[in-house]
Amino acid sequence: MIYLDNAATTPVDPQVLEVVNESMRRDFANSGAVYRLGLDAKNRVEAAREEIASLLRLPSQFRTVFTSGGSESNNLFIKGLCFPDKKTACLGLEHPSVTEILDYFKSLGNDGPRLANREGRLDLDSIPILKENRVRLLCLSHVNNELGAVNDPARILSALAVGSPQTRLFLDGVQAVGKLSIKPEFWNGLAGYSISAHKINGPKGIGLLVYDSRLTLTPLIHGGKQQSGLRSGTLPVPLILGMAKSMRLSIERLKETQEHLRKLRRRLIEGLRDLSGRLDNLDIRFNSSTLDDVEIQSPAIVNFSFPPVEGEVLLHHLEERDVFVGLGSACSAHSREPSKILTGIGLTEDEARCSLRVSFGRQNTEDEIEVFLREFARAHQTLYPTFQHKHAEK
Amino acid sequence: MSRPRIVLVRYDEIGLKGKNRSFFESRLIDHIRRKLADMEGVRYRRPRGRILVDIDETQVDECVRRLRMIPGIVSFSVGVPIRPDVDSIAELGIQWIEPLLASGKPLTFYARTQRSDKTFPITSPDFSYQVGAKILQKLHDKGLSAEFKTPEFVLEIEIGHEETVAFQGRVPGIRGLPVSSGGEVLTLLSGGIDSPVAAFMVIRRGCRSHFVFFDNQAFLGRGGFDKTHRLAKIVNRYQWGGRLCVVPFGNLQTAIRDLCTPAHRVVLYRRMMYRIAHALAEKYGCLALVTGESIGQVASQTLENLAAVSCTVPLSVFRPLIGMDKKDIIDEAKKIGTYDVSIEPHPDCCSVFMPPNPAIRSKVDQLEADEERYPWKDLMREAIENMQVFDLDRS
Repeated sequence: MIYLDNAATTPVDPQVLEVVNESMRRDFANSGAVYRLGLDAKNRVEAAREEIASLLRLPSQFRTVFTSGGSESNNLFIKGLCFPDKKTACLGLEHPSVTEILDYFKSLGNDGPRLANREGRLDLDSIPILKENRVRLLCLSHVNNELGAVNDPARILSALAVGSPQTRLFLDGVQAVGKLSIKPEFWNGLAGYSISAHKINGPKGIGLLVYDSRLTLTPLIHGGKQQSGLRSGTLPVPLILGMAKSMRLSIERLKETQEHLRKLRRRLIEGLRDLSGRLDNLDIRFNSSTLDDVEIQSPAIVNFSFPPVEGEVLLHHLEERDVFVGLGSACSAHSREPSKILTGIGLTEDEARCSLRVSFGRQNTEDEIEVFLREFARAHQTLYPTFQHKHAEK
Repeated sequence: MSRPRIVLVRYDEIGLKGKNRSFFESRLIDHIRRKLADMEGVRYRRPRGRILVDIDETQVDECVRRLRMIPGIVSFSVGVPIRPDVDSIAELGIQWIEPLLASGKPLTFYARTQRSDKTFPITSPDFSYQVGAKILQKLHDKGLSAEFKTPEFVLEIEIGHEETVAFQGRVPGIRGLPVSSGGEVLTLLSGGIDSPVAAFMVIRRGCRSHFVFFDNQAFLGRGGFDKTHRLAKIVNRYQWGGRLCVVPFGNLQTAIRDLCTPAHRVVLYRRMMYRIAHALAEKYGCLALVTGESIGQVASQTLENLAAVSCTVPLSVFRPLIGMDKKDIIDEAKKIGTYDVSIEPHPDCCSVFMPPNPAIRSKVDQLEADEERYPWKDLMREAIENMQVFDLDRS
């Protein structure tokens, strides 16, 4: 099996599995209990929290809240800060757990602007719109989940400081952690950041919200006042320890992983270009940047189109050969609507349907990329006549 | 040791079946036995006009849940076996009614007796009166009163030759006729909302339904199969012994798309589905096909197109939803528990196989001319050879 859909989720690292397993057996007590079993569990949670804070080099005013994952972190921060009437803005290219919140706000009469993008990144020229609309919070993906396009927070924050100083910046960092480096100055000026463990070889069902504690958030879940009342609910101690382990591994191995992913990515792009040159009926168009620069483009994602063959059908043909790739956000893979992200960067609906997302993890090898290229070409050649026919009918 | 309970199962319609009644009763009791097979110590009896199931108190909830899914049952009640004397029964009635008066709200009640043992010395109305009077005497001060027409609480007493049972309340069944009293049918299942409802309606009339699903995994992945398999298992809970046949349909679809008139594609696909279903019906001894079609719902379901597919098979085609409104079909799907699975998004046909403009009124001679252009008999044989069959009781 060749798994190339690591932006959807990743396999759990054996070392993480061991930590979770051991903790499942040992840390069964409620970390809110006052006897020593509970206190031990609580101490392990707090040690994990500190470990993560130090791995992320978080300044002391930042607070961390464990959540069920990226979607909940995005909801907790954006709704917690802006519900119901504070103006928010985005590009419309973010994960649905961001864009759907803004649509929900709109249904309440709180309609924030959608800003222009250049190839999936914020167009800095549109910042004055934030000031005109008195936008309180700008929500962006640090790394776009379908394209891998990077929004560089340092550049955006300095542009905001000049063009719209009252607007704070929130980043969905789910696709960035473990792929891009996070330097201490990264946090200067940032309002909030969300992270998910299962994208970095950790367990599903656990994530983190990092935010500037000077901001006041209203909780989504009320209850036993765990985590300073911000996110009530008994803490899943084993998942938290597993998340800390996966973050340690991914951040410690960052340089090595980045190099590896860049190598895989270069080989895939080169291979696709080569196929495109050799096969008359194959015309590959890259939707993500082909530049080998982590400031602009994540090394883990390649998104490309090959009209008139539809991505979903090609995906099933690859699946038959045990090769698994993505269509875009897994949450929308079942929808018949083409990707809003691809149409959002200017593709037509037909072009958007004829695309695939290949996303690498550190377990992938160069040999696997060769197999992918071979199987992709084979499936494309099988399907081309069918889709050419359909295209001609139109 | 937990206390014994008796479930009284009622089946009015079967009662009308004259000399065939015993046949229908045995089919019903067979289904009940199978449904309750894994429950320990359950016994069955068949006094005239009733099925009695002996269970114990701990099995009541599960037994009620399962009996509600058996066609042929009009209603059932869970009762307590008791000595046929006025004092014991009144005492039980008081036990049941007293907690209902605790809130201080008044309550109306009525005691109703049926005697199948006509040698019992007291008549039914007298017995009801005596039990009712005793209960009223005790609970009148707490707000209980007698009401004959529309009582809120009915204490029912059945005095039989072997034993007497007291119960309150009737749980409605799904009615209809016992499964396999009417023979076997084959339902064409698509993964949508309609076809599972159509299958259920025929199952409720006493037919066992098998299912056929036409799959194209190379283009659509396994999602459609998984969904349809789940739907078939849900519908199979209302019967037993159903099979799901999964027929690979990709090669037929490709041939039709490549070689026939584009506007005819959908009707040509359906003609092949009917033909394959007919072959499977013969193989499994099914006497009719069942589909979820309803007039005018989609382009392939106009009167002309329905006729153009029906004429390919010398077999009855039942369309129980033919005159139903979509909303009513949805309500029924929610009731039988298939709706949430049916609406899970999964395309039932890849867009490359859909024509730009499907024909609304296909002509059979033109369809036949199209069918001369591709080797449908060979492809049909190949599809049936590569079919997979799933036993829905197990898988």
